[in-house]
Amino acid sequence: MTHSLHRSGPIESQKKDFNWFMYQTKGVNDTNIKPKALEFIAVAEALGSENWGDVKSGPKTKYPVEYIKDHVTDKSRLRGVFTKREQIVDFMKQIKAKELGLSVVITGVLSEVLPACKEADITPHSINYSLGVWGKTENLPDDTTLSITTMCGHHMIPPKFVEHEIEQVKKGKKTEEEAAIEMCNFCYCGIFNQVRAADIIKDVVKKDKEEK
Amino acid sequence: MTVINKDQCIGCKICQKYCTVDAIHYNAEEKKCYVDQNECVECYVCVRQQVCPYGAIKVTNFKDDFYKQFQHVLSDPVENHGVTGVTGRGTEEVKTNDVTGRVIKGEIGIAVDMGRPGMGVYLRDAEKVAVACVNAGVELEPAENSPLAALMPDIKTGKLEPESLDYRLLSVIVEGTCREEELKTVLEALKKVSQEIDTVFSLGLIARVDEDGETKALNCLEDLDIPYPHRGKVNVGLGKPLSLK
Repeated sequence: MTHSLHRSGPIESQKKDFNWFMYQTKGVNDTNIKPKALEFIAVAEALGSENWGDVKSGPKTKYPVEYIKDHVTDKSRLRGVFTKREQIVDFMKQIKAKELGLSVVITGVLSEVLPACKEADITPHSINYSLGVWGKTENLPDDTTLSITTMCGHHMIPPKFVEHEIEQVKKGKKTEEEAAIEMCNFCYCGIFNQVRAADIIKDVVKKDKEEK
Repeated sequence: MTVINKDQCIGCKICQKYCTVDAIHYNAEEKKCYVDQNECVECYVCVRQQVCPYGAIKVTNFKDDFYKQFQHVLSDPVENHGVTGVTGRGTEEVKTNDVTGRVIKGEIGIAVDMGRPGMGVYLRDAEKVAVACVNAGVELEPAENSPLAALMPDIKTGKLEPESLDYRLLSVIVEGTCREEELKTVLEALKKVSQEIDTVFSLGLIARVDEDGETKALNCLEDLDIPYPHRGKVNVGLGKPLSLK
């Protein structure tokens, strides 16, 4: 799956949106994963990873961190969110120093991620480049909705639910942060960036108020 | 198979906003909601999030229907794909390329994420794209690496089992590799077929890169009027043993 690759929205907004991943390779280094996974979690937590999770358990916005840790298995794949370039630099430096031997992927805007690799003394191996959306794009939801729904690459966040949540914020029934967390809880993997989602909702609500 | 129990449904329509592909409709005569089985992708969001206050949404057994199982496993990321053993869409693309060396120097990995973002895809459209890729020189990934190939009697054609074509998935990846020098032809074929399908796809290109994270393979994008990509999924080369191919 390429679930963190094809996020949309203004580039400046995407520059505050990074994903980290830990991957084991089937038949090569896919046993006794838990101790290594806990090392990844410790580094991510220490650096303030805003969200993270394991698709088998769920995101930390919905489940206690200890629950997710307890349920790590050899099938687990951990992944999470950072919002600042400095975090991914430190993350790569610290994970490299631990020599865990698992594959590590960082997704984001390349003009941010590649310089970060240099700063961390990391040599990128390969890149999956996003060439965007092709085909019947006229049938897609509006840009704002897409900038939120594409943060769950498996598309577990229904567009109508996003519209509903934004309406709730406009009516003052919940805050941007509360709406963002509710959406975040639909994304089992823990790669949804609820901080960016709250910012996007804030912008929409602000524009709506200005137009009235 | 996801269904709404008529006896328990009160027609409040709350469930509609939780459907990822707008497959829940309202029958005004009966004043009940129902799941359109041709449109539902079995992603189980409505089930897992327990969105019906009256518990009317149910899952019925479809163990005897291989294609229904395939549809569910590919649409619900919590499930492991039976052949690849990977969750989500069941593919590895760039994730472990530093260890597997699936895409080596001089090659380009093609990952056509059909139905994405969020529009869904009937397998007949996935077949059109797979056939276009093969005809342009793409070697499709075999079934052990790519779930879609499990439906292809012969991956050298890209054709799917005819019985599968009317099933709709949230998304599925057409995945393969081509030589760098064939990329332009492949992209031209994808441009053409993108006008012939009733959905969208998100396109990813996987390449080995130099120490600066660059590749000359993408130079052809300018000729094709395709904007240079600003986003990427970077495998930072910490996996062991490291593939230098």
